[in-house]
Amino acid sequence: MSWLVFVLVFWLATWVLNARLALASGHRAVRLAVPLLFGITLLVVWEGVVRGLAVSPIILPPPSAVAVKFAASLPQLWGDFVQTFVRGALAGYVIGCGAAVLTAVAIDRSVFLQRGLLPVGNFVAALPIVGIAPIMVMWFGFDWQSKAAVVVVMVFFPVLVNTVAGLAASEAMQRDLMATYAASYRQSLVKLRLPAAMPFIFNGLKIAATLALIGAIVAEFFGSPTRGMGFRINAEIGQLGLDMIWATIAVAALAGSAFYGLVALIERWVTFWHPSQRN
Amino acid sequence: MKKVLTGAFLAAFAAGGAHAADDVTLQLKWVTQAQFAGYYVAAAQGFYAEENLNVTILPGGPDVAPTQVIAGGGADVVIDWMPSALAAREKGLALVNIAQPFKSSGMMLTCLKETGITSPAGFADKTLGVWFGGNEYPFLNWMSSLGLATDGSAGGVTVLKQGFNVDPLLQKQAACVSTMTYNEYWQVIDAGIAPEDLVTFKYEDQGVATLEDGLYVMEDKLTDPAFADKMVRFVRASMKGWKWAEANPDAAAMIVLENDATGAQTETHQKRMMGEIAKLTAGSNGALDEADYQRTVDKLLAGGSDPVISAAPVGAWTHQITDLALQ
Repeated sequence: MSWLVFVLVFWLATWVLNARLALASGHRAVRLAVPLLFGITLLVVWEGVVRGLAVSPIILPPPSAVAVKFAASLPQLWGDFVQTFVRGALAGYVIGCGAAVLTAVAIDRSVFLQRGLLPVGNFVAALPIVGIAPIMVMWFGFDWQSKAAVVVVMVFFPVLVNTVAGLAASEAMQRDLMATYAASYRQSLVKLRLPAAMPFIFNGLKIAATLALIGAIVAEFFGSPTRGMGFRINAEIGQLGLDMIWATIAVAALAGSAFYGLVALIERWVTFWHPSQRN
Repeated sequence: MKKVLTGAFLAAFAAGGAHAADDVTLQLKWVTQAQFAGYYVAAAQGFYAEENLNVTILPGGPDVAPTQVIAGGGADVVIDWMPSALAAREKGLALVNIAQPFKSSGMMLTCLKETGITSPAGFADKTLGVWFGGNEYPFLNWMSSLGLATDGSAGGVTVLKQGFNVDPLLQKQAACVSTMTYNEYWQVIDAGIAPEDLVTFKYEDQGVATLEDGLYVMEDKLTDPAFADKMVRFVRASMKGWKWAEANPDAAAMIVLENDATGAQTETHQKRMMGEIAKLTAGSNGALDEADYQRTVDKLLAGGSDPVISAAPVGAWTHQITDLALQ
């Protein structure tokens, strides 16, 4: 009971504090403190409620237990991270996004491909991951290659559609200007149309960044070596190691956010000229 | 306020439910198939109704861990393998075995003869397919008793987490895969591999068998006489179903087929499965054989550097239910 009272008091106190901070001047540190405080409150409430109501650790372990497990299994978590994120997700992301941008340029060039390839891309995107994953395991084996293949299929379409839309984004007046300069196809592509497409391409890349990790983790449910984040979740559920599952989820969330943040940072650097990047 | 409400509810139940059948929810370990024929037969033949029970059978699947279902209150009784149930018990989920309809284990490793494996010693440096999610314990246990490392180091075995099919064997990605005598073995045969091209190692023959498909309930609920009485009737009717299924395997397979909502099972496969299942349930009247239990625990405790359970469980089984059900 005392835990629940503490949680309530803590929650109200941080609420009041946060409301004041949010209204206060926009200093950088203050702006960072608001979401941080919110996150900490969430964890404290979770811990307090689990303890206060004596929730079984099999249903929901307290964050402290997850943190202890996390700290105790760093080598294992790191091995899983390398297997799933660095090998599976990242390799698939690079291959899939690269192929999608190249395909989009080809589609943009040829009406034939536009009519033929886009619907096929749409079709591939509609394939359910649980259907593709076992097939990829059969084709590419149990190791990370099959996970990368699933990721390629998942990220290809969003990047493709965004890039195709982006390549059409430059205005007729701008293209006419390039034509009056006697710019070749290649010159107008590199100097006008690809830069103009960048905001769109990065939109696709950001969507794909989160999809890639999901794809790599889920693909491991259908056959994997004895390491990887998806394998860990799948194996631990059988022995009710919920603390390990939450620790793996924490790694996935951290890796996913960091990856997304990195792509957003590159976007800012590449599309500095775009109105959305101005402060 | 809460007490008053609960009291009112109880009164309403007592008044309205005097003649209504008692509800029991059973969580299966896997999808609807002849592996669970006894329960479907007991429902279809009215054995549950005779005991005034209304039994709901929940099919499982690759994404369902029975231990988690019962921990979340989703079922009254679950079917699980003893290693997984004992591991869960050690993690703080107090499961108790109340009946053991399966006497023998149906688990085996099936290898291609062309890999040159003729005995378990031949597993060294080979790739073996294993199920995870609680089903890996018997395997890990066996390997550690053979002295083979499973972490991929030289001289040990390389372990693949196989999906619930035999593709790794057909694709030659693994030298051996896990199979059940009643299910995946026949998938290999159906895929066109002749039995003489296969070498199989039954856990039962290797002396490393652990108990499969037992009935487990939460320990604290057993102290409730109403619940215990419900379980007595449930076990009695289920065992009647099992013995009926053993005596009428083809009819039992058809009952299972009728209950397969997915339509994924075929008549040939279910009849064949029922024939194999009957061999495993034969010799059990439902009561857990203490010697079998002890053998399972000894095997699990001897699990080398990474034992499934670290201490001999206390109170993990009871004859309280079967003593009354089978008298």
